[in-house]
Amino acid sequence: MTVKTQEIVINSQTFILHPTGAAYWKEKDMLLIADVHLGKITHFRKNGSAVPESALYKNFERLDEVLHYFQPETLCFLGDLFHSYLNKEWLLFSEWVRKTTSKIILIAGNHDIISPLRYEELKIQVSSEWLINSILLTHHPEERQGFFNISGHIHPGIRLHGSGKQLLCISCFFKRKHQLILPAFGIFTGKHVLNPEKEDQVFAITTEEVIQVNLH
Amino acid sequence: MNRKELHTIAETWFSNQSWKPFPFQKQTWTSFLQGKNGLLNAPTGSGKTYALWIPIVLEYIKRNPEYRTKHKKGLKAIWITPLRALSVEIKQATERFVQETGVPLTIGIRTGDTSQKERAAQKRAMPDLLITTPESLQLLLASKGYDKTFKEVHAIVIDEWHELLGSKRGVQMELALSRLKTISPALRIWGISATIGNLDQARDVLLGPDSEALQNSVLIKANINKKITVKSIIPKQMETFPWRGHLGLHLLEEVIPIIKKSKTTLLFTNTRAQCEIWFQKLLEKHPEFAGEIAMHHGSINKETRLWVEHAIRDESLRAVVCTSSLDLGVDFAPVETIIQIGGPKGVARFLQRAGRSGHQPGKESVIHFLPTHAIELVEASALQKAVRNQKVEDRIPYLNSFDVLVQYLTTLAVSDGFYPDDIFPEIKSTFCFQSITQQQFRWVLNFLTLGSQSLQNYDEYKKVVIEPDGKFKVHSRAVAMRHRLQIGTIVSDAVLTVKYLKGGFLGSIEEWFVSKLKPGDVFTFAGRNLELFRVKNMQVLVKKSKQKTSKIPSWMGGRMSLSSEMSALLREELYTITSSQSKISKELRALSHIFDRQQKESIVPGPHEFLIETFKTRDGFHAIFYPFEGRFVHEALGSLMAYRISLLLPITFSIAFNDYGFELLSDQQIDMQQVLDNDLFTVQDLKSDLQKSLNATEMAKRKFRDIAVISGLVFTGYPNKLIKSKHLQSGSQLIFDVFKDYEPDNLLYQQAYIETFEHQLEEGRLQLAMERISAQTTVWKACKKATPFSFPIITDRLRAKLSSEKLADRIKRMTAMLEKA
Repeated sequence: MTVKTQEIVINSQTFILHPTGAAYWKEKDMLLIADVHLGKITHFRKNGSAVPESALYKNFERLDEVLHYFQPETLCFLGDLFHSYLNKEWLLFSEWVRKTTSKIILIAGNHDIISPLRYEELKIQVSSEWLINSILLTHHPEERQGFFNISGHIHPGIRLHGSGKQLLCISCFFKRKHQLILPAFGIFTGKHVLNPEKEDQVFAITTEEVIQVNLH
Repeated sequence: MNRKELHTIAETWFSNQSWKPFPFQKQTWTSFLQGKNGLLNAPTGSGKTYALWIPIVLEYIKRNPEYRTKHKKGLKAIWITPLRALSVEIKQATERFVQETGVPLTIGIRTGDTSQKERAAQKRAMPDLLITTPESLQLLLASKGYDKTFKEVHAIVIDEWHELLGSKRGVQMELALSRLKTISPALRIWGISATIGNLDQARDVLLGPDSEALQNSVLIKANINKKITVKSIIPKQMETFPWRGHLGLHLLEEVIPIIKKSKTTLLFTNTRAQCEIWFQKLLEKHPEFAGEIAMHHGSINKETRLWVEHAIRDESLRAVVCTSSLDLGVDFAPVETIIQIGGPKGVARFLQRAGRSGHQPGKESVIHFLPTHAIELVEASALQKAVRNQKVEDRIPYLNSFDVLVQYLTTLAVSDGFYPDDIFPEIKSTFCFQSITQQQFRWVLNFLTLGSQSLQNYDEYKKVVIEPDGKFKVHSRAVAMRHRLQIGTIVSDAVLTVKYLKGGFLGSIEEWFVSKLKPGDVFTFAGRNLELFRVKNMQVLVKKSKQKTSKIPSWMGGRMSLSSEMSALLREELYTITSSQSKISKELRALSHIFDRQQKESIVPGPHEFLIETFKTRDGFHAIFYPFEGRFVHEALGSLMAYRISLLLPITFSIAFNDYGFELLSDQQIDMQQVLDNDLFTVQDLKSDLQKSLNATEMAKRKFRDIAVISGLVFTGYPNKLIKSKHLQSGSQLIFDVFKDYEPDNLLYQQAYIETFEHQLEEGRLQLAMERISAQTTVWKACKKATPFSFPIITDRLRAKLSSEKLADRIKRMTAMLEKA
């Protein structure tokens, strides 16, 4: 499948937005991914809700797909990588990490309650934020003087209107003046609709395309 | 004691009250004492309670001749009522009889309102006679040793069976009865139903098709004929009466003299929002009514509702604005007049509401019909005819509701566990599951134990486990607790409690409405203007507000469809306009200016014409089709047509429907001639095209919500109770999407599709409609602007959508609105 990405420039750094919801930082050769929520399906099943088990493999396929596309040196998860307490999906994740050649870093989110020691065993570095030049990577969106913030947490979505009373609600990258919020990468995650303001930019994602949204 | 002596006890009591038993009451006593099961067809307020409680008590006397001195402990009979509000009334009636005849039987109530303490006390010692709801009965089945509780039960009565019949609570009841038949060997099953079209089927469903219980049963009809008069409120100034709308406030002044003339008036509205608005506007325009009028709907707290019900009985209220919450049960003798605001959508419902007035024998019932928009007067006219001919519709029972089955089996696994081989024949004996296959049953069992159909490597699914001897049992206490909290098949959106900041419970409100409010916003609830302070822990905290303007909460679920009987009457009524022979009713005469205008801009179709109109407005290109078949048929037809047209070209539709027709709206013009040439109304491939259109419109997604909750896929928790369900929140929509992509053969997922159309539409109704249409001449009118007939449809905001375009192409043409600064 050929995918159509979008390139944006932030503080003279280039970012490529991918239809899966990942963003690739060209100069640093780093891939940013937010809100995968691994283990969510298993967590539900463990509690008696029979969400289809086969769906949980899809997250790993998508991770492979986007890693293959960019082949980044570093992979940085912007929080909510694992949905809840440890469960067997962790084993799948461990296997996946061992096969992965990129260096992995986790900026912990509110859902990340698994001990950092577990991540260290997999050689994943865990921290609460990461400052690189004038770019601030966090899980929760925040505003800090002198920095451009890239984050997740919100699962941004956008509501589109069209002639003939058409309505659509789609996951998106949401860019404010000093912020870029990534869409949730994981399947089975849902979205939260944001209302854009004048200087915002919104990039909707479909299965194969990233499209800048017309605002009015 | 023989039957004659037993009858004497009852008749003596009756004459002590200066009453005379009706023939149907005596007939019911006899049949019950003969050991028969049955269905009693009797309206509210006819003495149906005594028709069945009396023989139940007599049966006890018969079995226990020393009943005055020796009391036999344990539960003896159960009375099921669909509305807990009715239970107190039933209890009082029963107490009166047992006390005055000196039978020392205790009577208890167990519903969602019963305190924890009382429940515990009941668990230790059950009352002799128990009044409860279908949900509370399920909860009893979910407690350990339930078989001992029910062992000596010799009678169960299901009151208002017609209300349960067409719902999943009916299925829940069927399953519970299938269990009770086994564990209570002396059980007699009785139902009480108002008049519906399919009474015989109602009995089949209650007792089980081809069952022994059915063979040993009777159908008793009370045959209390009541004169009903329907009076339409016709606007004096028809010219300014709106073409659309659903509130009917234009005619507010017309109801004032009606209210003033009668002792107590009930004003029935179709939705809770409408109820709130009417109540407020009445008070605003007529402050002299303050203290004399009240409001009653399902979201208002129990105390207020009970107060209103008492006040009606005490004759201290002039008028009550209400919803279907007052449809059932309680006998309100003082009610003299009924006003129906907006179309009641069905004859049975209308008759039932009419029957709420003039309760004294021989008195006629008067019901006023207040149309909310012009075209609804056609409905008023059709209703007159329906009432004259007593054309009452069927209540359609559900088939193969796997969600309810999953819930029921979990219930049994929570209490004492079950063996599939024992339980399967019981399930198959019910009407709902009469055609269930071994394979489907196996699927459900796998779903309960594996959460899928095969064992997976990394899986940790936990719900029901199979013990070494083959018993299916829930071991996890957390699973059991969540299940108990979630029992019940009446599904509503997540509801939040509305409370004053200073304390004081006001009622409950749907989450999606609150989600649209910001702190500081003023909204109307329970007849008061309230300011939202904040939402926390499933509670909406509010302050009183003096602000006049406010938002009115709207509640979903208020949309109803015309029954096929009503639709046919409606068409006949409409056809009288173009016919020279028939007499035109006064309702239709009042509409003549609208028909003239419709005729000028398009046509008023006759019996042999099928009208299609196309026109352009700033919203886009409209195509309106008028089958006059009722909302449900139009929902199906609308998506079917949208689907078939979308095969001809990439196009996106927004689809709207009402009881008269449906609209396909698009941003491109459709070539109507091409549609007609392609014979898109053919019944060929109807089923598969409908299925595909369903996939495309995602209408099944809405149905899936109930299914996901009932089957325990999503956990909602209960209002007022804070459940710690960490990381377990998820919308059913999300689960629906996962099923769609990863497990499309899941029976619960498929059920959503089947329920979307097959349950709503009586068997074959769509096909019949299409055959009728193809026998008509299609008249396509390319109009200059919106016509009177089209107005109520094109202004409807609840829409389905269907698209055959690429998502990316659509996004590029659409825009997102900027937040207003």
